[in-house]
Amino acid sequence: MNANRDHPLHGRIAVVTGGCGGIGRAICERLVREGARVYAADLVRQTHPEVKYLECDVTCEQSSIDLVQHIKSHHDRLDILVNAAGIEIEKTIEETTLDEWNRIFAINVTGTFLASKHAIALMRKTGGSIINFGSYDGFIADPKLAAYCATKGAVHALTRAMACDHGPENIRVNAICPGFIDTPMLKSFFGEGGDSERSWEAAREVHPIRCYGTPEDVANLVFWLASDEAGYATGQLWILDGGLTAQVQQMRL
Amino acid sequence: MPDCQSSGVLAGKSAVITGGGRGIGRAIAEQYIRAGASVVCCGRSNRPDGYPVEAHWLRADVSRMEDVQRLRSTVEQLFGRLSILVNNAGVQIEKTILETTDQDWQTLMGVNAFGVFACSRELIPLMHDGGVIINMGSISGKAADPGLAIYNASKAFVHGLTRSIAVDHGPGIRCNAIAPGWIMTEMADAAFSAAKDPERARQDALSRHPAGRFGSPSDIAELATWLASDAASFATGQCYALDGGLTATSPLNLDLE
Repeated sequence: MNANRDHPLHGRIAVVTGGCGGIGRAICERLVREGARVYAADLVRQTHPEVKYLECDVTCEQSSIDLVQHIKSHHDRLDILVNAAGIEIEKTIEETTLDEWNRIFAINVTGTFLASKHAIALMRKTGGSIINFGSYDGFIADPKLAAYCATKGAVHALTRAMACDHGPENIRVNAICPGFIDTPMLKSFFGEGGDSERSWEAAREVHPIRCYGTPEDVANLVFWLASDEAGYATGQLWILDGGLTAQVQQMRL
Repeated sequence: MPDCQSSGVLAGKSAVITGGGRGIGRAIAEQYIRAGASVVCCGRSNRPDGYPVEAHWLRADVSRMEDVQRLRSTVEQLFGRLSILVNNAGVQIEKTILETTDQDWQTLMGVNAFGVFACSRELIPLMHDGGVIINMGSISGKAADPGLAIYNASKAFVHGLTRSIAVDHGPGIRCNAIAPGWIMTEMADAAFSAAKDPERARQDALSRHPAGRFGSPSDIAELATWLASDAASFATGQCYALDGGLTATSPLNLDLE
């Protein structure tokens, strides 16, 4: 390992699925800054100049196989896998079509499964860290996000299962469970126009810390979990939500 | 309230209910009597007016060991043994830690923490044929209510001790906690009355409950009856939330903003 103080991830190879999305981009940039060679695996190219782009559809097994093959042929190692690809569907189960249900599970759950399944063979050469994306919605529900809540609950259980199975191979597996992070997904959740500004303000005030998270806040935790500092951390669900789920709902009295 | 389902499920059992004078404790006492149990209830005041005649009443403060020992002798004299202990007595102090005095700590932890410990230690030896302990926890012991610092912490203690009793004293003794949400007692009524717009406050609070209503003491009594009965013989070491879905929903309820 060539890790050094200024660049603790120097010499490490990282893959971030959904690496061109709101949170994914911040993760890629942070891992680059810490010295890793970073690949953003996504459907569309939108990356920092020092981040390498690989076209990848996480719902397609061949795409995950090709992704890992590319890393293997160029580096013969993979240290960090961040499963950040994910979508949200704002519907109750009655409104959700079977196609929509299958699509969100294909990306949020099957995508995490496929990328991890094919990465593990390469990761066990050096040991490594897999970071999945759960959500606070995997613990408590927001209205009209039924399928999304279910996919995140599945990711939480999968995280624990992977940690148990691959801990002995020196592969650590954790999930980050963000609360409200200022991303395009969140803006869509609040909706456009009229009342969205008021909702935005009101929802912020419910947080004990009185602000939304930023993609950089999430990237800070990804970096820590990816680094050797987190060498004993595995199988855990790391809620990062400004204290939102630490409090009981507050009535307006 | 007649209840065919639970009638007789506690026949032949003896039960102690602390804090049994009103609210949740009284509802449990009344339901246990209907279910066929012989009950001893205690509280810090005299026997309340109109209290069920079947119940034995003992004036006792669970934060005082001598009172708890008196409770034990009473149970020994009356029944010779004990089947069910409901550690329901609890007090709430609405303060942050900076506002909390040493005396507040003694008062609250004396009842909510020491009382649960003391009653369990003194009464477990009377559970000759096995027994059931039901502790009153709270959803506030899992996530915080603002301005209720040591109350929240005391309920987390209750949840922790519940697991320890289950682990140390199983299989003979089963121990579970109930974590009630918003139960319409005098305490909750007072909170609404104090609101700027009581009706709006009530609607707001209601809309945060998927069940569409607040809980009643009898809801908690129903669960306490089931947990005490042989139907729950595989349930131990758990903390069951009974809150109309309050803690299953996100604290962000955009329809309310």
